[in-house]
Amino acid sequence: MKRVVIIGNSAAGISCAEALRKKDKEIKITILSREDYTGYNRCLISYYLAGDIKEDKLVYKPKKFYSENDIELLLNQKAGRIDSKKNQVVLEDKTRIDYDYLVLACGASPKLPEIKGIHKKGVFGFRTISDAKGMLELLPITQTACVLGGGLIGLKAAYGLKKRKIEVKVIVKSSQILSQILDKESAEMCKRRLVENGIEIVSGSQAQEIIGEGDCRAVKLDSGKVIAASIVVVGKGVKPNIELAEDSGIKFEEGVLVDDYMRTNIPNIYAAGDIAQSYDPILEKTAVNALWPNAIEQGLIVAASISGENKKYPGSVGMNSVEFFGLPVISFGITKTPDGFEEIALKDIRQDIYRKIVLKNNVIKGAVFVKKIENIGILLKLARLKVDVSGIKDKLLRPDFNFSFTKDLQYDKEEVYI
Amino acid sequence: MKKLYYNSKKCTACKTCEIVCAIGHSPSKDLYTAVLEENVALPSVRVYVGQEENYPMACRHCQDHPCVQACIAAALKYDPQEGLLFDQEKCVGCWMCVMVCPYGAVRPDFRDSKSVRCDLCVDIKDPRCAKNCPTKAILYVEEKR
Repeated sequence: MKRVVIIGNSAAGISCAEALRKKDKEIKITILSREDYTGYNRCLISYYLAGDIKEDKLVYKPKKFYSENDIELLLNQKAGRIDSKKNQVVLEDKTRIDYDYLVLACGASPKLPEIKGIHKKGVFGFRTISDAKGMLELLPITQTACVLGGGLIGLKAAYGLKKRKIEVKVIVKSSQILSQILDKESAEMCKRRLVENGIEIVSGSQAQEIIGEGDCRAVKLDSGKVIAASIVVVGKGVKPNIELAEDSGIKFEEGVLVDDYMRTNIPNIYAAGDIAQSYDPILEKTAVNALWPNAIEQGLIVAASISGENKKYPGSVGMNSVEFFGLPVISFGITKTPDGFEEIALKDIRQDIYRKIVLKNNVIKGAVFVKKIENIGILLKLARLKVDVSGIKDKLLRPDFNFSFTKDLQYDKEEVYI
Repeated sequence: MKKLYYNSKKCTACKTCEIVCAIGHSPSKDLYTAVLEENVALPSVRVYVGQEENYPMACRHCQDHPCVQACIAAALKYDPQEGLLFDQEKCVGCWMCVMVCPYGAVRPDFRDSKSVRCDLCVDIKDPRCAKNCPTKAILYVEEKR
């Protein structure tokens, strides 16, 4: 009997296991997780931190899911290395697990800046239930929290903490928040909304040291300013957990490199989710697009590859949807217009409405919609399929833009209108 | 499974479908009471008015369903017989489904942070939009693929 070992029990690993079981009732499936929880909705931890949802809503797959699908789940097990010659995963306790197929779905970890005191108690990445619980435990003794970095994860933590009536200061080196996913205009709109709701954005500085005896007490900035804070959230992005690949002959750059079938350079080893560096049809090169929807889709592709269906992966795209204090923002692809690209935009600052589309040679390369977010998915599809939109370019920003505008482009297989 | 198709030539954009959809998904299911309800129910079908033809649009219950993959709250499931199943309780209003729907058929309801999407009138197993369309522009027939 063939055995699949999946390292990682989140979106990619679980979607792969679930799809594999649907295709193959016989194959043995083992999932290793270094965490102590069955599958949970990782992206919901900010809602949990904010108190918008209770812990039970975090459950993505309960224990029952694993038993019903005959998936062996080994919790609190960290893979130490891969012995690809013997087809074995070696756990940190030296136990060896044989595999016929190995799936690296071990995700990513927060990037921690190398500053003094970064490992003190009270300093958190914001990625796991444990991070959220750790912060919640500190709420009663916390007046102020500092968020290092103006990225999405950090700001989601800031939002959650603010909703818990904690004073929040966000320390950003650059002048723009959310610089990875938004253009200047839309970032300004978000910033304004955050500031109006009491989140302080400290621009132009970065943290130099976390001060405290064991517990975090304050953050010292490079400007010399010291901010008292008993919670510090590091929101400086994530890095793929490639340690396992490093010594095992698996090729990697930022993430583990995969082909259109999510295969690594070693034939029976696959990678999916935040660890994988896959083709991005918008950037037209490989990229790590560490996002839940991509992870789910990649897990499905791995399952198809292992079961011999060989479904080609259309590629991952950077895309984000976020809402701060009632201001929804969706963006995908390239949002800051590079040289040689074209942009079209519509702006109504008084109403907080903003729509911008970035194009190159009449192909959509990215978009940002603020407040009026409807129908942006149509543009995402056009971008992924690299459809020439010259025929409808003047209509793309119309408030009533909808799918019917695109029907003459004939990129869609499905018949909607007869 | 059966799906909704639209004859854009027959559609007069009378928006009867929008009205019966909203009423059918209101707590009272009665027009005169529904309009007075606190959060007036929204239609999950919308009619877009074109130059010569008109275009209703609601969830396509697609066989590939990017919204299910994108949902961070596990609120969406796909069943080959019943189509997309939406657990409104679980929805947190992250709008990932809005982000990926290639038809723009899912809309946000900002009032309670839940997405609005067609459930094919699962309660009566007969979509009200098709049943009530005066020009028979909305068809509920076996999927063409």
